[in-house]
Amino acid sequence: MATAHVPAARPHVPQVHRGVEPLHAGEGTSFIWRKLHSLTGIVPIGAFLIEHIISNWEAVQGPVAYGKQVYFLNHLPLVRALEWVFIFIPLLYHGLYGIWIWLRGKANVVYYPWAGNWLYVAQRYTGLLAVVYIAYHVATQRFMGVDLPNHPAAAFWKVQRELANPWILAFYVVAMIAICFHFAYGVWLFAAKWGITPGERSRWRFGWVCGVAGFILMGMGLASIWAFVSARYANAPENPSLGFQGSESRDQRTALALKPNGLTVRIGNPSQVADAHAGL
Amino acid sequence: MANRTVQFEIKRQASPDGPAVWERFELEWRPGMNVISAMMEIAANPVTADGRPTTPITYDSNCLEEICGSCAMRINGKARMACSSLVDNLEQPIRLEPLSKFPLVRDLQVDRSVLFKNLMRVKAWVPVDGTYDLGSGPRVYPQQQEVNYPLSNCISCTCCMEVCPQFNEQTGFVGAATIAQVRLFNNHPTGKVLKEDRLRALAGDGGIQECGYAQNCVKACPKQIPLTNAIADVGRDVIGQKVKDWLRG
Repeated sequence: MATAHVPAARPHVPQVHRGVEPLHAGEGTSFIWRKLHSLTGIVPIGAFLIEHIISNWEAVQGPVAYGKQVYFLNHLPLVRALEWVFIFIPLLYHGLYGIWIWLRGKANVVYYPWAGNWLYVAQRYTGLLAVVYIAYHVATQRFMGVDLPNHPAAAFWKVQRELANPWILAFYVVAMIAICFHFAYGVWLFAAKWGITPGERSRWRFGWVCGVAGFILMGMGLASIWAFVSARYANAPENPSLGFQGSESRDQRTALALKPNGLTVRIGNPSQVADAHAGL
Repeated sequence: MANRTVQFEIKRQASPDGPAVWERFELEWRPGMNVISAMMEIAANPVTADGRPTTPITYDSNCLEEICGSCAMRINGKARMACSSLVDNLEQPIRLEPLSKFPLVRDLQVDRSVLFKNLMRVKAWVPVDGTYDLGSGPRVYPQQQEVNYPLSNCISCTCCMEVCPQFNEQTGFVGAATIAQVRLFNNHPTGKVLKEDRLRALAGDGGIQECGYAQNCVKACPKQIPLTNAIADVGRDVIGQKVKDWLRG
């Protein structure tokens, strides 16, 4: 049998650089998807972030105030639809498309260590941290453990228990800082790229606006985290009375409805039940 | 006393698919020498620092006064024009590499034709060809000239594209230079007849939306063209055009 000719392996396999393709003028759909990514970062996600941090501020007023805020939010009309349409779906899109954007970029801050280039990189890392944190946060606080939509009064207790772990507390603090940065710089980027701030000076001034607003949000967010771990509200009750009718958890309502005349059904500690009775 | 010398390290590659090697050169210092004049000296006497004969360096250059845009390369890691890079202002050894985002031809010479293709795709011209004399064009007021002149300074060096983190093979981003030219030709009283075509072209894949606003382009531009301003203005116009098209569609 004749020896088959085996081509000698080349010692060096050169990688020929084909270069960047020219513009696909007017073709494709990436424009709409990219602009949607940009827009969802402002509304609804940015708007929701502001709402969330303002709501968190109620924690500074204590477990009852915080529980009332959670009760209020969970009693908005069509709240479950609002939650999916304006929070979960936009967050999922913004996060996943954002990662896709990151993967296609080629950071070069090592060679060009300029402020804008650092911010470009920071926007990507803070975005990734936000995706990881929000996935964890939504899973544990919204979908696991005590169901807060049905037990709004337990909100403070639930978060406090979560933050009792110092690692999780650190994660929350870092994520709060990263997300406030990502949002503030994202608003600045939005204004620049959508042509709202097309001048050097307008971008400089708006940079201050976004920076100050970002620090205020960050400060409020960190203050609310502090409220959960400070001695002031240590060992918050799991089921405080929110002080108005209908604020009881579903279990309490059921228990109260089933209560025979003159008989006290005890749920939680006696003072809570007494409060609940006072409201009836 | 020994003469003062200048050290160079130059990345050589004989062909697009050949291996890359670094060569060292040592030249006698001369007052006012720049990177191009140093490479001219190497061409006159192509011998490396360790005395080995080699070939002259291949590179693009023409005007030697930062007006033709040919001699962009990476000098000490940063994209800039070789002709305006004075040796006295550079840290030694001076490292020369070809631009990294364009197909390599040889040594420091790359194929930057993508910019010219992009300029064609956005119709970066004033359409005046016809079958009869169109007469003189409309007046351009001085205020408008003030806006247009800096944009018209583009020398097509591609530094803005080289330094852009978004300009790469994955995104196919068009780059800042082309976007600035869209701004220039859309401002022109006769050129604006193609305004809608240009804006629609820039909304295609690899269009203006791929900009990450890292602002390296405006830092690297040797002609100080207000590229980030142009991206903001054109970005707004492209969005406006797409919304109009959608509502009228």
